[in-house]
Amino acid sequence: MAESKNNGFDKKYRVHYGEPIGMLAAQSIGEPGTQMILRTFHYAGIEATIATSGLPRIVELVDAKKKPATPITQIYLEPGIKRNFEKVEAVARKINEVKMSSIVRRAIENFSKGTIKLILSKQAVEAAEMTPAQVASKLAKAMDLEVKSQDYEVLIKLKTKNLKEVRNTTVKVMKKVIQGIEGAGKALIQQDKNGDFYIIAAGNRIEDIINVEGVDKSKLYTNDVFAMYRLFGVEAARNTLANELMKTLDEQKIDVDRRHLLLVADAMTYSGDIKGVGRHGLSGMKNSVFARAAYEETAKHLVNAATFGEVDPMRGVTENILVGKQIPLGTGSVRLAIRKSEMKKIRTEKEE
Amino acid sequence: MESKSNCYLYLNGKAIGYVEDPVKFVNEVRAARRKGQISGEVNIAYVERIKEIRINTDRGRLRKPYIIVENGKSKLTHEMLEKLKKKEINFGYLLRSGVLEYLDAEEEENAFVAFSEDQINERTTHIEFDLSALFGLTLNTLPFPEHNALARHAMSANFIKQAEGLYATNFNTRFDSRAYLLFYPQMPMVTTAAYEAVNLKSHASGQNFVVAVSTYYGYNMADALVVNKAAIDRGVGRSVFYKSYVDEERRYPGGQRDRFRMPSPVAEGYMGEHTYAKLSEDGIVEPEMAVEEGDAIIGKVAPPRFLEENIGAGGLEEKTRDDSVMLKAGENGVIDSVVFTETTGATRIVKVRVRSLRIPEKGDKFASRHGQKGVLALIVNQEDMPFTSDGIIPDLLLNPHSIPTRLTFGHLLEMIAGKAGALSGKQVDGTSFGESGKNRLEVYEKEIEAHGFDRHGDDTLYDGITGRPFKAKIFTGVVYYNRLYHMVSNKIQVRSRGKVQILTHQPTEGKARQGALRFGEMERDALIGHGASLLLKERMLDQSDKTTVLICKECGNMGYYDYIKRTPVCLLDGTTNLEEVEISYAFKVLLDEIKSMHIMPRIRLSE
Repeated sequence: MAESKNNGFDKKYRVHYGEPIGMLAAQSIGEPGTQMILRTFHYAGIEATIATSGLPRIVELVDAKKKPATPITQIYLEPGIKRNFEKVEAVARKINEVKMSSIVRRAIENFSKGTIKLILSKQAVEAAEMTPAQVASKLAKAMDLEVKSQDYEVLIKLKTKNLKEVRNTTVKVMKKVIQGIEGAGKALIQQDKNGDFYIIAAGNRIEDIINVEGVDKSKLYTNDVFAMYRLFGVEAARNTLANELMKTLDEQKIDVDRRHLLLVADAMTYSGDIKGVGRHGLSGMKNSVFARAAYEETAKHLVNAATFGEVDPMRGVTENILVGKQIPLGTGSVRLAIRKSEMKKIRTEKEE
Repeated sequence: MESKSNCYLYLNGKAIGYVEDPVKFVNEVRAARRKGQISGEVNIAYVERIKEIRINTDRGRLRKPYIIVENGKSKLTHEMLEKLKKKEINFGYLLRSGVLEYLDAEEEENAFVAFSEDQINERTTHIEFDLSALFGLTLNTLPFPEHNALARHAMSANFIKQAEGLYATNFNTRFDSRAYLLFYPQMPMVTTAAYEAVNLKSHASGQNFVVAVSTYYGYNMADALVVNKAAIDRGVGRSVFYKSYVDEERRYPGGQRDRFRMPSPVAEGYMGEHTYAKLSEDGIVEPEMAVEEGDAIIGKVAPPRFLEENIGAGGLEEKTRDDSVMLKAGENGVIDSVVFTETTGATRIVKVRVRSLRIPEKGDKFASRHGQKGVLALIVNQEDMPFTSDGIIPDLLLNPHSIPTRLTFGHLLEMIAGKAGALSGKQVDGTSFGESGKNRLEVYEKEIEAHGFDRHGDDTLYDGITGRPFKAKIFTGVVYYNRLYHMVSNKIQVRSRGKVQILTHQPTEGKARQGALRFGEMERDALIGHGASLLLKERMLDQSDKTTVLICKECGNMGYYDYIKRTPVCLLDGTTNLEEVEISYAFKVLLDEIKSMHIMPRIRLSE
């Protein structure tokens, strides 16, 4: 970072050798973090846009939770179509997840004939810009069933009359995604400051969304750090992590220097995958037996260390305070170096 | 269920049947109760929404009396009120004669209660006794509770618990382990009906302070209080603190027992002559003796801890151990009284009460009855306090910022009411909802104006230092303040060097053990943040539990120094190649504990 251009950071603000940057980052985030309110206010608006925020979100990010509570994907579109509402709508339709259960008004099972009659909601089918015939054919293809449609009724004929199988099929059919991408959630069209349309989806299926025609692959973004990691790699995950931390703190009007957040993101991702802060992540990776034992699960670490004959290199802060040595940070990071030959000279002089 | 009239009937939560015509049934039960045919403790409620009748007769229900209204007329007539005044009839009579009745929470839902007689309409079933009955007893002992935020009442109730006052009139013969007594308790200028009714005024817990809502050179920022020195000298907030010490002549198996007496200089643990200087011949201090920390106040000797063979001692004197009671660190006072008595086990006990004067000083806590607490921060000479042209000098200066965010308007009202009362020489009634707020204020304002003061309570104050009038008029009044028993003199503690714990060799914690202040995790983090590694080492090691141990260079185990051979020796391999290493004693304990679990920790030394 410092090697390239100035990047807005003046040279005199570079940290010195031995500066405890981790401690500074922790205090700089932690202190204003105490002012964060647990219950956050939401905008009255569309259900899908309500995302976890405040302290719960920070915990989620820092603990590296595999599944965020409210994944959201931001989909920008290719330059040719991003100003065209109709075309954007078409893309959104390819993404917007429509389940059978949301368009079926009533399902009537006939166990003696082995048929399932689905009465579709006209409104819902029209909203998805489909016809009952399309629904029937898609269902037939996707589930390998014999499906016929008439008006707003779809009739599924099964080969079996087994009560259990009929019911199972009904349940499966209702769960089937008939349009859009499975797990993409509700797709909503928004407009940004420049007048460009973009799509917000309440899911994290960026692996599938990226293949949808018209999507700007370079701008695809989700708040799910692990989804970003799977699709784009660690660097993207690191940036996402830092971005999300910054966004959450900004929402709460908490002003933290972004370099502290970048350090957290770096510490969590430098190993090549994402590690949380805690006993299974960063703290559990510490080199020192004592530092780990001092944090959590004391007995476990001591027993393991004894079993494997572990050696504590005594390079961290915690273990050095524990035994009563000077910590290797700040003024303690300086060591005196002397040539062996000189040392011998001093010793012989002393003895004389 | 589908039937229109059928209605389930519950008795104390258990379904016992159903009723055809619920309204008629409920009315019949109530009429019977009012006639005295069934107990007045029965309550019945009809929940129309879910068609249920609930009869409750069990214990633990909160109930409240109401005046019954029938056919648009209150059953409590003026004749009855007159008789009540003459004490010809009483409350119980009114209850029995169906004029009053108790409702519980469920039956209250069926009632239509009017606030006063002129509000009665065709739906009215009851009248509220008095609007102040909307609050409970505790709240009604406070003045103007309807003008304060509820959270402040909760605080206020807590503070009054902690207030010093006349807690018992037989305090002189009591030996409470701790007791506080206010020198000149006063009845509050602003009282309430409930305050009078429970006779709190004969156990008053505060004094009426002349308060000015003003700043004083920043000395009353953030709930700090500025108090007039002359007021303190006249006895404002002055109190006495009693502390009792008890000791017993215990009996031990083997016929031995403790004895109250002056310990002999050969007794085990004898503290030196000066410690016992204040004890009289019987081994107990005399009343009115001034005592200080460390002084023995009850001299007692106990038999030695371990049975020893007394052969060879010649039977000269029985061996004893000193077990006297000393005055604790930081305490002092005068012996108030000494009492000898006996337990049921026929052992002698002695109780010694120490009295010490507590004149208000910086750091003492005061609170008004509106949840407004403060800590005395400056005692100002009378001549430097602001004063009015009449020469009135406030006892206390309250920072104006303490009012608006806390919504304690009752405090301001009490100031005005208290001022009116003080000027006219009469106690003022501050019962909740007494008169509608505005009228009440007007009464006080007129009273104040009649005595030649500004009707809003704002007086022109003059700066005591420069003598010039302040540009703004300053709100002054009389408020009842409580002195709370949190005093610096009971809490102050200092230590430079001192005791350490046996196990870890680290300094002790807490005032009772003369402990040090903990240099905690967050303080540690702060030093790390500054990179002050040597200062951190000093705190965590040099000033704490530093020890020097000998570590074997060959095996990494701890060794010892052989003073005869004048060489360090390793416990494990017997070699003499050891090095002195400074470590924390806590770490040594850790290593020992690990070893006790059959794990061998080794310390590798490097240059």
